Parts: sequence; C-alpha cells; structure tokens
Amino acid sequence: MKLKMAIFELTGCGGCELTFIMLNEKLEDILELYDIAHFKMISSKEDLHKYDVAVVAGSVSTERDLKVLESARKKSRILLALGTCAVHGGPQSLILDEDLEGALAEIYGKKVPKEMKIFAGTPISEYVKVDVEIPGCPPESNDLFQALVDLAHGVVPYKWDYPVCLECKINETECVLVKRGIPCLGPITLGGCNAVCINLGIGCIGCRGPLPEDVNIPSEYEILKSLGISEKTIKRKLRMFSKRVSLNDHEKNLYK
Amino acid sequence: MHYKKLPKEFLEEFINRLRKWGEVHAPQKKGKNTYFFSRLDDPSKVQIDYTRTVIPPTKKYVLRPVEPLMLFHGDRAEEHTLRTTKLVLFGVHACDINALKILDRVYLSEPRDPYYEIRRKNIVIIGISCMPDDYCFCKSMGTDYAMSGFDLFLHELRDGYLIRVGSPMGHEITWNISDILEEVSEEDIEYLKKFEKQRLSSFKRHVDISAMPDILDLAYNSRVWERYSERCLGCGNCTLVCPTCRCFETYDVWLSVNTSMRVRRYDSCFMVSHGLVAGGHNFRPTRLDRFRHRYYCKSYFDPIHGINCVGCGRCDEFCPAGIKHIEVLNEVIGEIYGR
Repeated sequence: MKLKMAIFELTGCGGCELTFIMLNEKLEDILELYDIAHFKMISSKEDLHKYDVAVVAGSVSTERDLKVLESARKKSRILLALGTCAVHGGPQSLILDEDLEGALAEIYGKKVPKEMKIFAGTPISEYVKVDVEIPGCPPESNDLFQALVDLAHGVVPYKWDYPVCLECKINETECVLVKRGIPCLGPITLGGCNAVCINLGIGCIGCRGPLPEDVNIPSEYEILKSLGISEKTIKRKLRMFSKRVSLNDHEKNLYK
Repeated sequence: MHYKKLPKEFLEEFINRLRKWGEVHAPQKKGKNTYFFSRLDDPSKVQIDYTRTVIPPTKKYVLRPVEPLMLFHGDRAEEHTLRTTKLVLFGVHACDINALKILDRVYLSEPRDPYYEIRRKNIVIIGISCMPDDYCFCKSMGTDYAMSGFDLFLHELRDGYLIRVGSPMGHEITWNISDILEEVSEEDIEYLKKFEKQRLSSFKRHVDISAMPDILDLAYNSRVWERYSERCLGCGNCTLVCPTCRCFETYDVWLSVNTSMRVRRYDSCFMVSHGLVAGGHNFRPTRLDRFRHRYYCKSYFDPIHGINCVGCGRCDEFCPAGIKHIEVLNEVIGEIYGR
C-alpha cells in the first residue's frame, strides 16, 4: 500500500517545493511509493486527513504559517522540514523580532495593514517537533529523494555532518579562501551540494546553513576579518540564511 | 642501485614512451596555484616544478575519493565489478612515495582490501626530486628521500635527469627506452650533490621527533591542544589532503525504489559522527578531543612502525584557520621537555 504524503508551503520563495517537481524521472519512483494528498503547487485538490509524511517548506513568518504548520504536525506521522527557510529560518529571519516594526514601516509606510500578523522568520523546529531536516537553498532534489525512499522503506534518513570543504577537497577545486582570499563559508556550512559554488570560483555563502553540531563561528569570523571585510558585512554574511547562528551568543565568544 | 641519465630534450619523449606501461597521470595546474594529478594527454602540460597536489597522487589512485562497493536489487546483493586501468604516475614526490608505504602497511595487511590491492598492483611510480617550499617539513620526518617504493626516480640535473632504477619494472622500462638514455657522468654526480646540499639546507620548518611517543604520552592534558582547538574550524581539510589519512565512510544511496548502491568515500575524524558508535555513544564528543586525536594518530599510535606523518605540508597549506602542524607539535614539545 502506498503512503500518503502532503506538501505544505509556508513563507518562502517556492523553490523548495519546486525541488520536488524537479525530481523529474525520479518522481515516478516516488509516486510508486506515495500518494500525494495535498500539494497546492500542482493541484487544488485537498485531502486534509492524516498523512504518513508531511513535507513543510518555508519559515514561520505569519500567523497563517503557524496554523498550517501546527495542523500538518497533528495530522502527520513524520514531519520533514524541506529547505533552509524551514530548517534555519532563511533570509527572512535576518530581521529580529525587535526590529520587525521598523522594517514593516520601512516597506509599507505608516499604513501597515492591521490584518497582517507577521513575525520574524523562524525555523519550524521552534514550534513543532521535526523528524527529518533537509536544508539547502534550494535543497538538493536527490537529498529529498533519498529521504523519501528511506522513509518509505522504514529507514531513518542519515543526518550528514560534513562541511562543504569535504566535497570541495574531493573535487580538488582550488580553495578560494586559502588561495585567493575570497570570503568562503565552506568550512562551517553543511555540505552535500558538491561544493558547486566553489567549483565555479565563488565563495560559499552558507545557503545550506551551519554544521548541525560543532560549528566554530568565532574562528570563521576571525578569518573573514583577516581578509579585510568589515564587521557589519561579516555579521550579515554569517546570519544570511540561518537564525540558528545566534550573533548574541557568538559575540560573547568573540570579544572575550 | 642502477643509474641512468635522461637528457632534458627527451623528457616529453620519455613521458610518451611511458604510455606503453599504462595511462600516464601527472601533476597539472588549475586556477592560480593549485595542482592536481590527472591524465596527461599533452606532455607539455606537465607541471614538473609543482609544489604539492590537493589530494596526494599515491592516495588518490589506490584509495578512490568516492567508489561504489556493492549494488542491491531488492534482496539480491552484487559486488561491484572492479575494473582497473594500468596507470603510470609521473612526477611523484618522495614524501608521497613514503606515505604510500604507510598506506600499504594498513591496506595490504590481513584482512587485505581487495579494492586497494588491485589498484596498487597496477600502478607504476615515477618519482621526481623537488625543492622544499615554506610548508615542507619532510626532512624532520625522515621522509624527504625515497630509497624504495618507486619504479624510477628522476633527479634534476642541469641538462637532464639522473634516473634511479628502483624495481624490476623500472629495469624493464629503462631497458626498453635505452635509445634515449645515457650513462651518468662525474659531472652529473657533482650536480646531484650540489642539488641535494641546497635542498637539505632549504627547509624552513623543523621538529625533533626523537622523543615524540613519550612527549605525547605526557602531554595529553596540555593547554596547547585546547588553545589551538579553539581556532580549529573542525572542517577536516587537513585530513582529507593528508597522504596517510585513510578513513572512509560507507553509506547506501537509492538509485530507484528498489535498487541501491553501497559507496565508500573519504571521511575525516573531524566530523562529529566519526566517533559515534552503536548505542549513540561518541568517544570523541568535543572539538578538543577531535583536534588532539589527529596529532596522536599522526605521531603516536604506531611508534613501532614510525610516525604516520611524512611532512608534506598539505595540512598547513590547506588549513583555513592557518594552524601549522609543526608549530603545534613544537609548542607541546617545548612545554614538556623544553626542547
């Protein structure tokens, strides 16, 4: 019997959900294992009963997001966070709660619509229990494929913990940080992207979020500073994709 | 040992003749100053004065960075057919040749690794002399000269290369290409002596390893490890580029709904999961544990067989945090024995 899957979209650009569609020929494999009960991007059909797997993309940035997320959690056996917004908060989490009012005023002027109930972008794990996390902006469609097939076979998807540097070294790409002095977040960013940016001579911008367990932000900060980059730019760079890089904690370490 | 001379004008001819014994792989350049070993189609592309490659050639060709091991179709498992090409590695440095001996000891001892073994048997090694750069410390490790582990070893002369023949295969090659080789003259030997003298006096980094096992025994709780581990990013670059680091990770990937492939890939002891065992226990839970572990693995665990470091300098060249292996060791040594 096929499993029932639902894909929910919170605040994000829609790229993560597109990753599912971009499975292309592998989508046929997934459809052998799963029935898609709910996925607004491809069908207006709605099945709001129970799901085996709920895939959630996007961050919690509105009250509507939170309602959708809570209902997805209640109705599903396994909840999978797809993409950096869902896992780490994404670029919209750059704004902190205390700056939200100012940011809204900057965009909407004095007429902020009252019905807009907005809060700073937040990883979904701050509200509900998340079973599987697949970060990436956008996530690798193969990561999603591996996780979905694993789940259908009753296997717990493996949680990788290696940085971008690992694949970069395996590719024997010229290290942009060491050899060319280009800022690169590769050493502290979760790998799995095959170091695609560095292969193109661009420094890693950290779109897959920080390493899951041990991540040395202060040391990366010092390295970027030694390249002559301003403190403000470094902080924004480090926080670009992840609310989990807490600048407050990290500043404490920095200036001790 | 048997010696021959290759005149400089025959270098490209020499490389082309080597193709008889296998596909020639040699150091080539990418980007600003990054070197890597790859198939050499055009002999003029060879970077004979290269400093060091990212992945050591000796490790790269015997222990593939990523390689399939098995295929699973439903319940049926099938070993991946191992196909190997005969390879000639042209331009391997002495440190990497000495590192291969360490890998051999590990992978060719029982239980032998069949993937390693078949590749190892099909590799011809042509070494080449080099001048140390700012990172090299092979002299301190006693690995700056290869007395064995190669088929031919080329030493730079003013107008050619002095060839040392190191194996029956080496003899076969020199015998086959004798028409482009000459006998070594007294003048050549004088040049070689001068070159060696200059080489040995060019090292900028030194470490005294004579009491290393004792020192590391006593230094386990040294503050030096702690201080450096705060700077360490735990990225694992040093281990991935190390010619003697040989840990791999094994995992399965789905190819379709019912078929999967078992793969092995270079791993690093700097990954948190590296020390994770069944039951969820991690025997190297902190970065300090992992950082220190690397130094003990390189310099301590196997004192009978010598040190697991050949001083190639890769870990220093590729460390984003600029941590220098020798500097750390010298601080530890200084703390214990004031050496």
